[in-house]
Amino acid sequence: MEDPWGTALALFQVWISVLLCLVMLPAMFGLSLGVTGVYIQILVQILEWATLRIQRGRKEKPSVPIPLPNGIIHRDGGSMAQEILEVRGSRPGGDFTLGDVFYFHKKGMESLVDDQVTQCFSSEELASWNLLTRTNQNFRYISLRLTLIWGVGVFVRYCVLFPLRITLAAISFTWLVISTTLVGFLPETRICARGLSATIRYHNKENRPKHGGICVANHTTPIDIVILANDRCYAMVGQVHGGLMGVIQRSMVRSCPHVWFERTEMKDRNTVTNRLREHVACEDKLPILIFPEGTCINNTSVMMFKKGSFEIGGTIYPVAIKYDPRFGDAFWNSAKYNMVSYLLRTMTSWAIVVNVWYLPPMTRLDQEDASQFAQRVKSAIALKGGLIDMAWDGGLKRARVKDSLKEEQQKMYSSMILGPDGPGDLADTPPLLDLQD
Amino acid sequence: MGSLHSLPDEPQYVGLAEKTGFSFEQIGILHKRFKQLSNNGETLRREDFNTIPDLLCNPIRSQIIEAFFDRRNFRQTDGVGTVHEIGFGEFLVVMSHFRPPSIRLDDEQKEVIRMEKLRFLFNMHDTDNDGTITLEEYRHVVEELLSRSGALGKETAKGIADAAMLEVASISMGHMEPDEFYEGITFEHFNKLLKEFEIESRMNIRFMNMDTTTLCK
Repeated sequence: MEDPWGTALALFQVWISVLLCLVMLPAMFGLSLGVTGVYIQILVQILEWATLRIQRGRKEKPSVPIPLPNGIIHRDGGSMAQEILEVRGSRPGGDFTLGDVFYFHKKGMESLVDDQVTQCFSSEELASWNLLTRTNQNFRYISLRLTLIWGVGVFVRYCVLFPLRITLAAISFTWLVISTTLVGFLPETRICARGLSATIRYHNKENRPKHGGICVANHTTPIDIVILANDRCYAMVGQVHGGLMGVIQRSMVRSCPHVWFERTEMKDRNTVTNRLREHVACEDKLPILIFPEGTCINNTSVMMFKKGSFEIGGTIYPVAIKYDPRFGDAFWNSAKYNMVSYLLRTMTSWAIVVNVWYLPPMTRLDQEDASQFAQRVKSAIALKGGLIDMAWDGGLKRARVKDSLKEEQQKMYSSMILGPDGPGDLADTPPLLDLQD
Repeated sequence: MGSLHSLPDEPQYVGLAEKTGFSFEQIGILHKRFKQLSNNGETLRREDFNTIPDLLCNPIRSQIIEAFFDRRNFRQTDGVGTVHEIGFGEFLVVMSHFRPPSIRLDDEQKEVIRMEKLRFLFNMHDTDNDGTITLEEYRHVVEELLSRSGALGKETAKGIADAAMLEVASISMGHMEPDEFYEGITFEHFNKLLKEFEIESRMNIRFMNMDTTTLCK
C-alpha cells in the first residue's frame, strides 16, 4: 500500500520542480522561454486547418447554417428624415402623411429581428469554429478527423493545461498574500498571466501611463486588470469586497497605494470625485485605472463611457484592449456564469491572446464638457482596437431603457413635421367639416 | 461538453417554410431570435418584447407588439381577437408579412403581396376591427408619433390629425355634400392613399446574403 502513495508523491515533486524552473522563475525575472509563443503558433495552424475542413464540409452539405458576425439583417444607414422622405417618394413637404408611420413600423420590425444591444451582452459568435464546443452553437458533424482533433483538444485542455493553470494560480495566490510587502505586485501578475497562457502584445509603450494620470480602458473581463498590471503598477478604484476578493484587495493595498471605497461612500459622487482628485494631484502617486463603461462588454464594441471619471481633471491615458476570439472567449457574462465557473472556462480554453494599445494622452479641451470629452476618448479607443463605437449605455444589461429615449424619437419626428419654428402654421387650417367620431 | 447534433425541428421547418416563404436558414435564425427573446421558452408574451431597447424607443411600439398577438395576422380564415402568448409558428407567420419578396414574381403575385402587407398595416391601426380606421384611431397614431411634451400639446397633435384626416377625406371622397360625414378610412381608401408608396420593396426586412463564407481572420 505504500507504493502508490510513494509514486504519487514523487510525481508531485517532479511536477512542482518542473513548474518552478520552467515557468515561475523566468516569470519572476520577466523572461520567457518562448513555450507559449510556440504553442500559439501551433494552435493557429491547427485552427486554420479546421476552418478549411469545415468550409469544405459546408460546401458539400449546404444545409449547414453559417453564423454571420455583423448582425443578420441589412439596415439602411440613413437618418430618420432621410428615410421618411424616401418612403414618401414623390410627396415631400412638412405635413404629416399616413405613410410616415411605416418608417417606424419597419424600424420596429428590424429591431425585433436583430438589435445591437442584446448582441453586445452575449458572447461573440465566431465565423469559424475554434474547436471549443462552448463557442459553437451550430456545429454539425463534418468529418472523423475533425472530431478526433477536437477530442485530442479536449484531452489537452482538461488534462494538461488545466492542472497546470490551477497549480500556477494556487501558487501565485499564496505568494501574493504572503509576500506583497517584500517584492511588489508585478511578479504576481506575471505568474497569473503565465497561469492563463496569456500572450500579451503591448503596442506603443512610449504612451504608457505616467504617474499622476488616469488610465481608462474598455472592459471585457476582470482579467483586464491582470493584463494591464503586467506592464506597470496601477492604483485601482473599487469597492471593498468581502471573502476571497477582500483578501486579495487588502494584500494589494500593501504593495501599491490603491483607493478603495466603502459601498456607502460610492453613492456620494462628490466624495468619490474629491478623493480621486487628491490622488491625481500627487505627482508621485500611481496612475489610477478606471473602466468607464461600468460593466463587462463582449469585446466587439465599446459602450457609453460614464462621464464621472472624466470630470476629475488631469491627463487621461486611454488604453484599448482587444482579445483574439479564436483562442477563447474572454468575455465574462456575469448574468450567466459566476466568477468561479468563469475562471474554470478561461483556464480550459486554448489561451488568452490579447493586444494592448497605449494611446497618446488626452486632456479636456476648453470648449467641451465632460460627456463630450468621454465620447472623444471612447471613439479613439474604439478606432484603435477595431471595435464598434456604440452610444448605448452599458447599464442596459441590467436596467430597462428610460422613457426619455422614446421621447427623443418623438421629438425628432415632431420637429421634422412642424419645422423648427413650431406649430405656427396650423392657425390657418379652416374649421373642419362635420366629422363623425 | 455537448454532443454533435443535427439541425433540430427540421421536419417542422419544412411546414413552416411552405407556409411563410422563408428559407431554412432564415427560419433557423428567427428561431434563435425567438429563443433569445423568450428565454428559451416555448411561447412569447408581451413582456418579453420589453427586453429590446431599440423597440422601446419606437413611438409606436405598442401597436407593433399588439400585431404579434392579433389573430387577424395569423393567416387563419376567421381569426379575430387577441391572444396572450404566441408560439414560434405564429411569430414566424407575423414576421412573414415583412418577408423580402423573391425576385422572380409576376405582377399579379406582386399585387397579392402588396395587398397582404397593406392589410397587415391596416389591421395594426384598425384596433376595433370594424373595417375602418376612424378619426379616433388615426388621432391616436399621430399622437403616438409626436412628442407630448414641451411646445407640442395635445391640441396641436389633435389639430394635425384632423388636418391629415381632412386631406384623406378629400382624396377618397372627392367633393362631399354638407350633410355627409366621413366615417373613416376603409381598406379601399387606404389602398388608394398609398398607391404611390412602394410598399412591397420598402417594407421588408432584408436578410444578409447567406452564401458568403467569412473566413477565419
